[in-house]
Amino acid sequence: MLKKEHSDLITQTGPGTPMGQLFRRYWMPALLAEELPENDCPPVRIKLLSERLVAFRDTQGRYGLIDEFCAHRGVSLWFGRNEDCGLRCPYHGWKYDVTGQCVDVPSEPEGSAFPNRIKLKNYPLIERGGVLWTYMGLPETQPQPPEWEFATVPRTHTITTKRFQECNWLQALEGGIDSSHVSFLHRSELNTDPLFWNARANQYNFNDLRPVFEVVESPGGLYIGARRNADDGNYYWRITQWVMPNFTMIPPRGDHPLHGHFWVPIDDGNCWAWSYEYHPTRPLTEEELTAVLEGKGIHVKTDANYRPLANKDNDYLIDRAGQKAGKTYSGVHGIAMQDASLQESMGPVVDRTKENLVSTDNGIIMARYRLLIAVKALADKGIAPPGIEAEHQKVRSASIILPPNQPFKEAAKDAFVARPAVAPVSV
Amino acid sequence: MESESARMSSREEARFRIQDPNSRPRVIKVIALDAASEAAVRRLAAKPWQSATFLSAAAFPRAATDFSGQSKDLTKEAGAADLVVMVASPGGEAHAASVIGEACSAKRVMTTGLLIGAGAATEDAVSRTLSQLRPWSLMLVVADPDDYIADMLTALRA
Repeated sequence: MLKKEHSDLITQTGPGTPMGQLFRRYWMPALLAEELPENDCPPVRIKLLSERLVAFRDTQGRYGLIDEFCAHRGVSLWFGRNEDCGLRCPYHGWKYDVTGQCVDVPSEPEGSAFPNRIKLKNYPLIERGGVLWTYMGLPETQPQPPEWEFATVPRTHTITTKRFQECNWLQALEGGIDSSHVSFLHRSELNTDPLFWNARANQYNFNDLRPVFEVVESPGGLYIGARRNADDGNYYWRITQWVMPNFTMIPPRGDHPLHGHFWVPIDDGNCWAWSYEYHPTRPLTEEELTAVLEGKGIHVKTDANYRPLANKDNDYLIDRAGQKAGKTYSGVHGIAMQDASLQESMGPVVDRTKENLVSTDNGIIMARYRLLIAVKALADKGIAPPGIEAEHQKVRSASIILPPNQPFKEAAKDAFVARPAVAPVSV
Repeated sequence: MESESARMSSREEARFRIQDPNSRPRVIKVIALDAASEAAVRRLAAKPWQSATFLSAAAFPRAATDFSGQSKDLTKEAGAADLVVMVASPGGEAHAASVIGEACSAKRVMTTGLLIGAGAATEDAVSRTLSQLRPWSLMLVVADPDDYIADMLTALRA
């Protein structure tokens, strides 16, 4: 269980909240680059960290992320005309550039200085790895651009998708670091999903259904290791990376791409689940790209607004006959929607005072512990949280076979570091 | 018409959730395995807990004691728990882990090994203690600060 005040502290991310201040120290995925595909394309509405914003790409290709509402009468600039290096409100023609600076108020005399006095809040928006990233904190603490490997490998090696998830970000993150649910909820997918099947080590999963977990602090967050018996008395380790506050990387299987998530708060009851898929040393194959676009692996088929086609309005298209026949464990198809359906069923923000955690939930317990420490350290002493530095972001998960007496943190330390042109450590 | 999932997972529906307690206190034994971890466990024992009790097996193979100095039978204590948390520090002698682990295994009691103070320790020291804990821990946590134990116990409703 978690005390209500502690749960509130790390689930609420709006402006002025302590956790909101923490999130505002990082670059966060805001949009897919495909959402602003060309200069002067239609603007996009987006809510992040409980702030309503509008994004656009101007005539010169510059990206802007500004307050959604016109300073004049509060009209949504999503209705704006994106033209001649600015977004013009269709109501009375006020126009804003990518910095939120008002550059034209047609009702004022030509040459008037009045527009200089009008400026909307804006945040930087940069493209990296097919993702548009924003930083919503103070300019003086803006870190270097994101260094996550999936965003820095060649574009042929990486693909990212996103989906709307109707619950608090922490609920979704906790699913991502809860290794013990995999043997139940996703047990049918290992041998049938094209992004998971045919890995040699899958057999270790099937042969040992009772993994033992080890949780170890890492510089940026946690390593969460699941240990199974391998051959000759060795252990097969699957080690997940969590980097604070909201990045996870799932251990790889064979030569399949690496993958994982960002969980970005929209508001306190919704989040964006970002899912990346990349290979450090080779382009993704046609089969892999097709699988991603068809919603396989950790990806989902969505509508034009990135809401999953299987969602709570249609009971996630639950297939009770398939469940009975053993096609899926929960009746919901697809790994991501299996997770999302259950996490959303908990309600927008789960009541953690009522939960009964057990020992295997130590990954979740430790993550909350580290988040609470970081949020208090930032609020009370201004100490920057982990996960901002490039070294904390250049990480990989690993699947590896080790002798029984070795601590995986040391034995696999090279495997945890993202190195250009070096293949991941994967069995 | 909204589906069951859409209606039932809304914020408004949360007020209809049953508020009766959904669990009874579980019996948790926290056992220090060496001198350094004994100090941390002793500090914890001084706090109010609803269902946790604290022992030291740091003097193993001499008898374990609680923090009032009373001798305790490790096998009996471990076997009567829902969860046993073994606390060790890097380089310490965690020999009691095997006795506790065997008792828990016989009685089907969950075990958690907690290695504290790992941040400043050498790889050898961590490795040596881990190899003593691993065979007997169904969950193992390597944490730097020892105040994590209190957070963990609170999370487990100890």
